Amino acid sequence: MMLNSTRAAKVVVILALAGTISAVGETRQQLHFKVGRKPNISINNQYGAVSVKPGAKREVVVTAVLHSDKVEIDQSHRGNRVDIVSHLLAGADQSTGQVDYEVLVPADANVTLTSMTGPLHAEKLHGDVVMEGNTADVDVRDVSDAHVHVKTLNGPVTLTDIRDGHVEITSLGGDVVLTSVSGPLVEVNSSSGKIRYDGDFGDGGEYLLTSHTGDIQATAPSYASIDVTARSEQGQVENDFQLQPKHTSFPIKAGSAFAGTVGKAASSVRLFSFSGKIHLKKR
Amino acid sequence: MTCEEFERVLPENEGGHTIEQKSHLNSCSPCSDLVADLNAISEQARFLRDTDTDEPNPRVWNSIRIALRQEGLIREPESAPFLVHSQPRRRRLVWLIPAGALILLMFGVVQYKRAPVQLAAQKPVLSSATSEIADASSLDDQQLLEVVSKHAPAMRASYAANLRDVNSYIRDAEESVKIDPNDEQAQKYLMDAYEQKSIVYEMAMDRSLP
Repeated sequence: MMLNSTRAAKVVVILALAGTISAVGETRQQLHFKVGRKPNISINNQYGAVSVKPGAKREVVVTAVLHSDKVEIDQSHRGNRVDIVSHLLAGADQSTGQVDYEVLVPADANVTLTSMTGPLHAEKLHGDVVMEGNTADVDVRDVSDAHVHVKTLNGPVTLTDIRDGHVEITSLGGDVVLTSVSGPLVEVNSSSGKIRYDGDFGDGGEYLLTSHTGDIQATAPSYASIDVTARSEQGQVENDFQLQPKHTSFPIKAGSAFAGTVGKAASSVRLFSFSGKIHLKKR
Repeated sequence: MTCEEFERVLPENEGGHTIEQKSHLNSCSPCSDLVADLNAISEQARFLRDTDTDEPNPRVWNSIRIALRQEGLIREPESAPFLVHSQPRRRRLVWLIPAGALILLMFGVVQYKRAPVQLAAQKPVLSSATSEIADASSLDDQQLLEVVSKHAPAMRASYAANLRDVNSYIRDAEESVKIDPNDEQAQKYLMDAYEQKSIVYEMAMDRSLP
């Protein structure tokens, strides 16, 4: 038993040393800012993750892990605005220039996150969320009464439980997945990325899902209340709902377009693709 | 006389000092050292001026040649190494410079006149070599990619692909509008396509800089 405990102690020491060695070169910084109501928080991080969650009411806490000494954090706090920028020094690259942020903000904060590689994450906020990334994974969850704006070139976008705000997403090649997203305006503009919507289209909003070549799949429950128009110039369209016919400004060509209403037609849903496939599925 | 006064009048003295200046030199070692240094520099300058600086002493070149031969850096002991500047050889070859310039000039003129034909002949090769930006038809796209290449070369291919996609989107949208100018959706496609292109430009300019 003595031998086992000695051996166990040696293993613990070795593991502790291994953890220390792996962390060599990394530094951790924590920044605190006092702010008022609805502060504006901006994080500009070329390489690395940014995660934003709600914290104390009048405080912003930024915890940053810098992966090398080739990057430093520039901070600016003016009134109710906090700007954090990862400043790359000479010789920095994607690996050495990486900073990972975990940010706690007041729930009513307006947040702007920018990163080339990401990932970018925000959750449980009531303030506007703006995210921009090249290849960054964008993930926004549980945001209500606020606007969500996302711009990405090729990073995938996932929005979940977004309510009662404007949602505007522009993606060139990244796929966009919307789950339980509803509000007065939901607009997705994609070039080659696929668009997936799974929700009930709320009550009284405008939903516009447009793509150039990406497929569009919208899944809604049978009780959805929608006025839907779908059209693909060169692709196929498919519809699982029984639609009450309505007039359109363009000729309805079977297999390329459909239009009609379901229930009380509370929300307007437009699904347009130039050459992608469109499918309105019933859950 | 103070040191300051001595230094002020020093440049005016050519070859001689007044009694007062000599007295100061005898009692002031910094000024005395200064005068000694200036005299040494002056002597060296005269020496360099009087010797033929274009052609070092032949013994210098000879010793360099011997050293190079010993190191095995030259293989033709009979012929002079490239470091050796032989005056007679240089004089013989000096006419080559203007002759060479004239030949280059004539070559350039001939090439310029042939340029349209050569460019046309090379077009397929150029097209294949620049296929990645074939769709980035506008000058702006090319300039953008050059900026990206300069600051973030690893991103160039990605931006070129993005530009290809949005330009294709714009072309399709323009075609739709042309077919039916009253088609609102076609107009929306076109606006969306241009919005996407503006985002590509914005991100390339903002974030291609490391």
